[in-house]
Amino acid sequence: MKPAKFDYYDPRSLEEALALLDTHQGDGKILAGGQSLMPLLNMRLARPNIVVDINRIKELNYVRASDGGIVIGALARQRALQTEQLIAERMPILQEAAYYIAHPQIRSRGTICGSIAHADPAAELPALALALEAEMTLSSAKGTRSVGAETFFQSFFTTALEANEILTEVRFPAPPKDSAWSVLEISRRHGDFAIVGIVAGLALDSDRQVIAQARLVYFGVGPTPIRVKAAEEALIGQHAEEAAFEAAAQSAKQGIDPSNDIHASEEYRRAVAATLTKRALRAALEKLRKN
Amino acid sequence: MATSRTVKVHVNGVVYEQTVEARKTLVDFLREDVGLTGTNVGCEHGVCGACTILMNGEAVRSCIMLAAQADGAELMTVEGLAKAGGELHPIQEAVREKHGLQCGFCTPGFLMTTYELLNKHPDADEEEIKEWLSGHLCRCTGYQDILESVKLAASRLRNP
Amino acid sequence: MATAEPKLPSELPISQPRHVGKDSARMEDPLLLTGRVEYGNDIRTPGMLHAAILRSPHAHALIKSIDTARAEKLPGVAAVLTGKEVKHWSRPVFGIPEGWTGYALAVEKTHWVGEPVAVVAASDRYIAEDALELIEVEYEPLEPVVDALTAGSASALKVLEGKDSNIAFDRRFAFGDVDGAFASADLIVREQFRWHRSSGNPIETCVCIADWNPVNGMLTLRGGHRSPHLILPALVISLGIPSQQVRIIQSPLGGSFGVKTFARYVVLIALMAKKLGGRPVKWTEDRIEHLIGNSSHAWDRHYDCELALQRDGTIAGMKMQLVDDLGAFSEWLAIGMLLKPLLCLGSCYHIANVDYSCKGVITNKTPQGPLRAFGLPPHFWVIEQLIEIAAKKLGLESNEVRRRNFIKKDQFPYVSPSGNIYDSGDYEASLSLLLAKAGYDELRCEQQAARAQGRLVGIGVVSSIEPGLTGPPMLALASPRIFSRTSSPEGILVRIDSFGKFIAELGFPPGGQSQHSFVRQILADYFGLTLEDIQVITVDSLSMQPSTGPISSSMAIALSGAVLGAAARLTDKLKRAAGVMLEASADDVELFDGQFRVRGVPGKSLVVAQVALFMMARPDLLPEGVDGNPQATYVWNPPDRTIPDEKGFGRYSVTAAGAQHLCMVEVDHETGQVKILKYVMVDDCGVRLNPSVVRGMLMGGMAHGVGTALLEEYVYDDKGQMLTSSYMDYLMPTIMEVPAAEEHEMCTPSPIAPLGVKGVGEGALHTTPAAILCAVNDALDPLGITITEAPMTPLRIWKALQTRASH
Repeated sequence: MKPAKFDYYDPRSLEEALALLDTHQGDGKILAGGQSLMPLLNMRLARPNIVVDINRIKELNYVRASDGGIVIGALARQRALQTEQLIAERMPILQEAAYYIAHPQIRSRGTICGSIAHADPAAELPALALALEAEMTLSSAKGTRSVGAETFFQSFFTTALEANEILTEVRFPAPPKDSAWSVLEISRRHGDFAIVGIVAGLALDSDRQVIAQARLVYFGVGPTPIRVKAAEEALIGQHAEEAAFEAAAQSAKQGIDPSNDIHASEEYRRAVAATLTKRALRAALEKLRKN
Repeated sequence: MATSRTVKVHVNGVVYEQTVEARKTLVDFLREDVGLTGTNVGCEHGVCGACTILMNGEAVRSCIMLAAQADGAELMTVEGLAKAGGELHPIQEAVREKHGLQCGFCTPGFLMTTYELLNKHPDADEEEIKEWLSGHLCRCTGYQDILESVKLAASRLRNP
Repeated sequence: MATAEPKLPSELPISQPRHVGKDSARMEDPLLLTGRVEYGNDIRTPGMLHAAILRSPHAHALIKSIDTARAEKLPGVAAVLTGKEVKHWSRPVFGIPEGWTGYALAVEKTHWVGEPVAVVAASDRYIAEDALELIEVEYEPLEPVVDALTAGSASALKVLEGKDSNIAFDRRFAFGDVDGAFASADLIVREQFRWHRSSGNPIETCVCIADWNPVNGMLTLRGGHRSPHLILPALVISLGIPSQQVRIIQSPLGGSFGVKTFARYVVLIALMAKKLGGRPVKWTEDRIEHLIGNSSHAWDRHYDCELALQRDGTIAGMKMQLVDDLGAFSEWLAIGMLLKPLLCLGSCYHIANVDYSCKGVITNKTPQGPLRAFGLPPHFWVIEQLIEIAAKKLGLESNEVRRRNFIKKDQFPYVSPSGNIYDSGDYEASLSLLLAKAGYDELRCEQQAARAQGRLVGIGVVSSIEPGLTGPPMLALASPRIFSRTSSPEGILVRIDSFGKFIAELGFPPGGQSQHSFVRQILADYFGLTLEDIQVITVDSLSMQPSTGPISSSMAIALSGAVLGAAARLTDKLKRAAGVMLEASADDVELFDGQFRVRGVPGKSLVVAQVALFMMARPDLLPEGVDGNPQATYVWNPPDRTIPDEKGFGRYSVTAAGAQHLCMVEVDHETGQVKILKYVMVDDCGVRLNPSVVRGMLMGGMAHGVGTALLEEYVYDDKGQMLTSSYMDYLMPTIMEVPAAEEHEMCTPSPIAPLGVKGVGEGALHTTPAAILCAVNDALDPLGITITEAPMTPLRIWKALQTRASH
């Protein structure tokens, strides 16, 4: 399986990259990690006329502190999730999630922003972006704009990115104070895309009994990662215990939009989403109790 | 010409320079243009790991990289492990001793991943070793002898 | 002493074997470890072109027209081959039963998604694939035949041109008194099973380089070919080429598992070479081609089985009916997979009354190919699962039922219902060893405790037989015309060079099973040499002795026999020269511990090299009839084999290795996921020539079995489109999915095979799926669930749990 012909550019500056995308009016693909794009090129399922390789734009490779949160540049590799001290300190859930993302060899090339821009609904990073209410910076030759995760993910492999835009930065704001997070996934094998996955966040009231905040985002269950606010609302104000978790689980079952494929049916995905809701909430609660 | 690219790489310490089609994958470049056929092609979709080489010290799947992306990089392939006189690297020696190979087709990929793993995590425990090896498929060995080989290599590299 | 075939390593002419039976370093390793081995795809020949294959996107369609003009004009393209030329230049690809295949390219219609429709040869593969996109094919889609259970009906659309049926094979074999057994049984259990397709998937795909010289007519083939001797007839028949004009130069293989005979593609690439009129062309199969287009799928089966038992658990009889979806062709030797069970119908159990009927139907799917020695995984699962079901109904512990029915130690050599003989075994002892090593009683306690917590934990204990060395006689049941032969030749040439070093020439290349190494081990012990004194090479097909090659669990037996036979002949010759040197009669000379001595006369002795050098230096002093050439060939054939009669009765295997496995699993009752908690194997493959090699193959087979039981499945939709056409969806097990397993040796040496070996190589793969699948059903047993479909994916398990919950 060999790629079809394309013109290849590896600009040294962001301006150059953006100019190229502009010139080629929607017929260009950004090559960052390439772990998703290259298989598609090899199989000729993607046939762009131009490929813009941004790997030489060194200034895009960063993980920095920002207002209690973290900003991640377009070239930061997925491996950074496991090696960056900042992430371990401020957002350990990202570090935890890295365990599910493919394998070390993929993570050494694949980028965090690339995974978010690729928007595979069964991938972990888009779900994390949604759960953590990340802000995406979209750059074009005309300037930059910021899009929240809620509106960034639109459909299967489709985001708010225009054809002439590059996702140059993702900002993960500081998670809610004293919140604990859990990410769980069911997949056929270790490292595979999720059949069903969940990112759950929980914060308790000052009395440490009642749920003050909750975030429930599911992946592998629709055209985008899905945040089920109804399920979150079923938790808020409730005692942090099985009854509430069960209510959230049932609500989640209805709030997602799964489909059938050879690995799982719609019913399976709904049922497992409910199961994972409870398991993830239990895990998050346990983390809270430990602290 | 944007459809082709001159690629200059160091492979196992030797410089190679060649103009190739931009769409040429790194593994094809290594096998055909550089002439090092030790790195094998197993799937061309980044799953089996047979094509794994080191780029600037990191294990990467060369079937899902373009040769152009390696321009200016330091690459290491399986041919760079043994000494020039044929003396096997301790990792290769350990794999041989523990029968961590049968047909050998997946072996170069495993060796390169192991090289980076033991370089960066010399004290890797079984769980970490398995995580790193999970990116490789083998159909012959069932993996256990490969795991034992890596453990032996790790202990030998820690106490040379 | 040395001239009779040694039946055990201790019978070799050496006081203590130094290499046979030991973990000897493999000679294949240095090249493999350094990446310096030359696999097929590493070969470059001058002027070599690269081929790419256009494949049908339709499961069933007429080809109205094919226009290759634009493709031919693309710069870099040398030629394009179409079905019209293939039909003109060749006969349909080889398959048995005969007449159920098509040409190497689709001609008037396509029969499965992925069937080759055209071939392009270009200066590189990239351009060749560009050219594929310029070929215009006009298809008229037809209704695809995708249901094996209805494909055989009279009203079904017929897949193959000129055929009035889709039933390629339909045979019934009955042994003993099945009706009587069932009539007098206390219990009959009946169950239907469904087993889905999987395949071998070696990490190296198929590679073939063809060069057909128009001047002298020589067809030279390079690449990873498992068994040139075996595919030569297929090439001669399809291509109409005189056999002595075919030369197959073999490369080491990156695994085969039954896949690397790929005769159809060898024919196809040879025809491309013919069109090129003298330029060599290489085809490297890519992974997607391998998944959809390589005729290598296996075991797409619907079983309907019954087991008849007495109240005490004695099995009175068995009825086994299966329908196998062969795919679009009954190609190559795939049909052998339906016949292989005849070699071990009752597995390890004494079941005298068996009715076995098998039907192979043609559908619009990828053709099957013989996987892993004409593989038996479905057969053993069906038997073991029926035993589990029956034991439960009888209120007996299933291992008690197994023990009651095991063939007893004193019944060997055991004549199985089909006449095939199990040479040796001690299943009772193997099972006891397995249960002791696994701590079976503790495991059952653990299971009880887990069940009390509501956890689904299960244990499967299963047995299997690995028939050693099957082949031509068995295949006579599908093609008496071609395979009425008892032979399964394995030949070798052993010679000593002018420096006293040994060279052994084999007819097949290395492919992971260490055959070259064990040839070296045997010769080293036989002649008192160091391993380094011996070179083992693969010679090309024109130079080689007849060689069936490593198919179907045979090499330990056949190749040992060949080496020992050649060694004996060489020794006889050397003795006659040694006699001259020692001034004694050759009959008084013996070889032991690498020395030639006169029997009963201590003192003067000669090493082999001295004798050989003498032979070569002084042929004038040699006795009449002995030339100055220390060399011998030997072609080993299995002893005492018969061609099966029309009832399938005969002796067409050689040994019977046996295995008992234990698997403990936990099923997540909310997600259906299976976790393997413990895995223990006992394998009796007789004498192990190289223990670490045997162990490695058992572990590898076990891993493949995990994939087969839980992960690997080719899925088709109702239009015959394959939904699992990449490694994203066809799931191979990684180290994370394969449990650390324990392996324990049992050894009942074969009294028949050389050195007491039995064929091994598939034993674990045959047994592991049964162990895992039975374990899952044991886990689900408290819920009254038995799943009879494989693989047991989380979805299937979950559905079964839901169905149960709703009742």
